[in-house]
Amino acid sequence: MINGKRNQKINGNQKEESNNKNKNDYVIRCQDINLWYDDNHALKDINMNIINNKITAIIGPSGCGKSTLIRVFNRMNDVIEGCRIKGDVIFDGKNIYGKNVDVRAVRSRIGMIFQKPNPFPMSVRDNITYGPRVHGLYDPKILDEIVEDCLKKAALWEEVKDRLKDSAIGLSGGQQQRLCIARALSIEPEVLLMDEPTSSLDPIATAKIEELCQELKKKYTVIIVTHNMQQAARISDYTGFMYLGEMIEFGRTEQIFENPHEELTENYITGRFG
Amino acid sequence: MAKEMRKEIIELKEDVLKMAGLASNMLNDAVNALINTDIDLAESVKGNKEKLRKFDYEIEARALKTLTLYQPMAIDLRRIAAILKIITYLYRIGRYGKDIASVVKELTDTFTYSETTGIKHMWEHVSSLIEDAIESFDKAEITKIADFEERDDEVDQMRWSIFRETVSHMLEKPTHITHSAHFIMISRYLERCGDHACKIAEKVHYMVTGEHVEIS
Repeated sequence: MINGKRNQKINGNQKEESNNKNKNDYVIRCQDINLWYDDNHALKDINMNIINNKITAIIGPSGCGKSTLIRVFNRMNDVIEGCRIKGDVIFDGKNIYGKNVDVRAVRSRIGMIFQKPNPFPMSVRDNITYGPRVHGLYDPKILDEIVEDCLKKAALWEEVKDRLKDSAIGLSGGQQQRLCIARALSIEPEVLLMDEPTSSLDPIATAKIEELCQELKKKYTVIIVTHNMQQAARISDYTGFMYLGEMIEFGRTEQIFENPHEELTENYITGRFG
Repeated sequence: MAKEMRKEIIELKEDVLKMAGLASNMLNDAVNALINTDIDLAESVKGNKEKLRKFDYEIEARALKTLTLYQPMAIDLRRIAAILKIITYLYRIGRYGKDIASVVKELTDTFTYSETTGIKHMWEHVSSLIEDAIESFDKAEITKIADFEERDDEVDQMRWSIFRETVSHMLEKPTHITHSAHFIMISRYLERCGDHACKIAEKVHYMVTGEHVEIS
């Protein structure tokens, strides 16, 4: 008989980890999420839990619903005409799709970074202070502190500390994306949603964003949508594979990429389709 | 890209099977040369050393290149990871064949029938372990390696049996100590080859199922 000690130990650790998780470990819990764009059923019965202070990657072929899914987490789909959603997204104990929910408050706690850097056409400093000012913070000294703190957290401070009054549009693509991250951090979110944040960046800028994600997860929970499977494997702790609007498999990243349980996942990550 | 990668992996697998054939033949020929006192056959085994080393080197380089170029995942990753380990075990098996072949010349005319019978019996067991491990790798199938632990235990017992018999022989005929010591070493080499077959089986199990097992 083959001795499966190592295997038992691996499964044991996973089981132990699962047993040790309680509701407080999940920053977001999705329950039976279904979403339609008019008649197009874009998300089908999504159930998943996002774990605190971890990086969760969502992968899948184009049009599988991964961007739609992360936009569910901060109600960004609300602005799309014909979009309907059913199911619960529990954040901080409350359903963000429940009655009397302040959508702005949700979005201030769940920030978002987009595929293409989209700094405001204003100075580096004003990009960071814009959010706090909207929330009623005008003290220049405190704003200065926020600017420095957020730029440091976004690993951009050293590169722009002498250019705070320059236009953000003059920064490189990678710097612009990190500025957008700094801007998102300025309103102290708990979760950062990143929708293909490096797809328009060169490899060096991509590496900086990836390193930054590792730093960010110490304080924030990061959910990242990426087309780049190697990136998902490199930086995430958990990975979900989506196909045709369904969450086919969700698990620890090393398990998904080394030993996926679902044939569809295996076929996708080994390049047999997609 | 995925098509190219799969082509590379298929070719890598074919190279591993060729290397396995060479390593197995080196061991089999060495034992046959010992049993039949065939010096020429023993010499030919020694001549394959460089060919074996080249397989090891080239397959490793090609596997690393495939990892770098295509960054494979799941079964493709596990197959290459398994190949990188399996070639080391195959290399060791072939080298033990060469080590056995190296002492054939010294042992001609001096051994007894019972000593070669024990070695032959042990070799048949080890040989079938190697064959089944390689076939499992080829077919990506684990049925034939399910009983490897029991079969490896039998090989271990055979080795100790040969050891005890040879020590008795040494006590009876101290003039035969040198050649008896060689037989003890040969049985040890065969036992190690059995262990390497088990290590190959472990990697095949990982390759097929994604789960690590220990065959001890």
